[in-house]
Amino acid sequence: MATLQRAPHHRLAVHRQLGPLRFDVNLEFSAPWTLIFGPSGSGKSSLLRAICGLSGHAGTEFARSNAEGQWSVLSSSVATHLRSLSYAPQSPTLFPHLTVRENVAFPSQSHAKAPNHTLLVEQALELFEVTGHADRLPSKLSGGERQRVNLARAFAVPEAKLMLLDEPFSGVDRAMRDALLPRMQAWLQQHQIPVISVSHDVDEALLLRAEVVVLAQGSVVNQGPASEVLNEEWARMLKILGSV
Amino acid sequence: MDFPALGLTLRLACLTTLLLLLLAMPLAAWIASGQSAGRRVAQAAVALPLILPPTVLGFYMLMGLGPATALGRTIIRCFGHPLAFTFPGIVLGSMVYSLPFAVQPLVTGFASVDRSLLETASVLGAGPWTIFRRIVLPLSRTSFLTAAVLTFAHTVGEFGVVLMIGGDIPGVTRTLSISIFDQVQELNYAAANRTALWLVVLSFAALLIVYTRGHRSQGAELG
Repeated sequence: MATLQRAPHHRLAVHRQLGPLRFDVNLEFSAPWTLIFGPSGSGKSSLLRAICGLSGHAGTEFARSNAEGQWSVLSSSVATHLRSLSYAPQSPTLFPHLTVRENVAFPSQSHAKAPNHTLLVEQALELFEVTGHADRLPSKLSGGERQRVNLARAFAVPEAKLMLLDEPFSGVDRAMRDALLPRMQAWLQQHQIPVISVSHDVDEALLLRAEVVVLAQGSVVNQGPASEVLNEEWARMLKILGSV
Repeated sequence: MDFPALGLTLRLACLTTLLLLLLAMPLAAWIASGQSAGRRVAQAAVALPLILPPTVLGFYMLMGLGPATALGRTIIRCFGHPLAFTFPGIVLGSMVYSLPFAVQPLVTGFASVDRSLLETASVLGAGPWTIFRRIVLPLSRTSFLTAAVLTFAHTVGEFGVVLMIGGDIPGVTRTLSISIFDQVQELNYAAANRTALWLVVLSFAALLIVYTRGHRSQGAELG
């Protein structure tokens, strides 16, 4: 299948030990949505942490391209909070002392130069259908609701240049996920924010029509459009389902 | 009842608590933020007043703040007189003496804030000061109360350091505990008893606040 040639917007190289794994990864991200795919323990979340700069910058290079195609390396010189990232971690780490609305408003209130972002916050609450819970504390929410607030907060970061979503739909039921995905993709396209997400769900990868990077034991074993790369995985899953 | 001593003690305890919390906040934040050897040394140094006899502490401070050392001479040049036997002198002594009571609860409080919350806040664009102000401080507010009450109560009850640095000057450095000592020396047990009872009540009330608040906030987190 022919794919459109797009200019890469970010690149990541990791050549170092991270936790139990030795990483040897050179990646260029050019798709609007890239999905890092692999079994648990393959190092997916560690790559997101490396992009954020949460595991030190030794042996890591993370760079961003501007509209003119000029690259700037962020990994060695730009602190985590200045990287214009948006992030929804795997387990929803909501701030327990802040209400849902305050959690979602946290990123815009933390940006010193940001003007009033009330609209951005309200849109994010609505997009993930948590407006009704806006004045509640995270401890009063169900697991799925917490995960949606976690996503809403990521969608309320002003002027983000890259969004990182770690298992964005864990705890969210299928029907809700299928309803959210097209809305999320439309929003991201409108705001021109590329996404790198992490998943071990074949179904999700195909639904997203994402560029897929298959990771195993700290190395990239395959990369390409979801339908091609995951064909094999898909067939294997069907076989398992068929044999049940 | 020695009311000037009671007033002086309360003034000393309030000022010591306020100044010490301001000093302890950045120190505890630094100690809680990593595992380096320097931090361990600082933590041990902060805890030293817990085990040193107050007279040892008082002796070294008396010497250190006097004209025998460069620090003491600088102070004398700045203030025109040494700090020994003055109210600012006993405030400084109390701050050193109560240092662990202010720093340790804050270190525990700051360290107990979930690291993943801080990391997430950082990736979402919050700088270190914003994270401290909006996440760490509100989530460790119980530790501030504990640190404040313990520092206050410990300062109210101190004796050795204040006596060494401040002497026993009525209205300037004579605190309640020194007043009791004087009353016992004069065999005035009834007066000593009244003053001592004040100290017991003050200290008990302070500890009651700590335990009641601690219990309540634990309940709130579970609820």
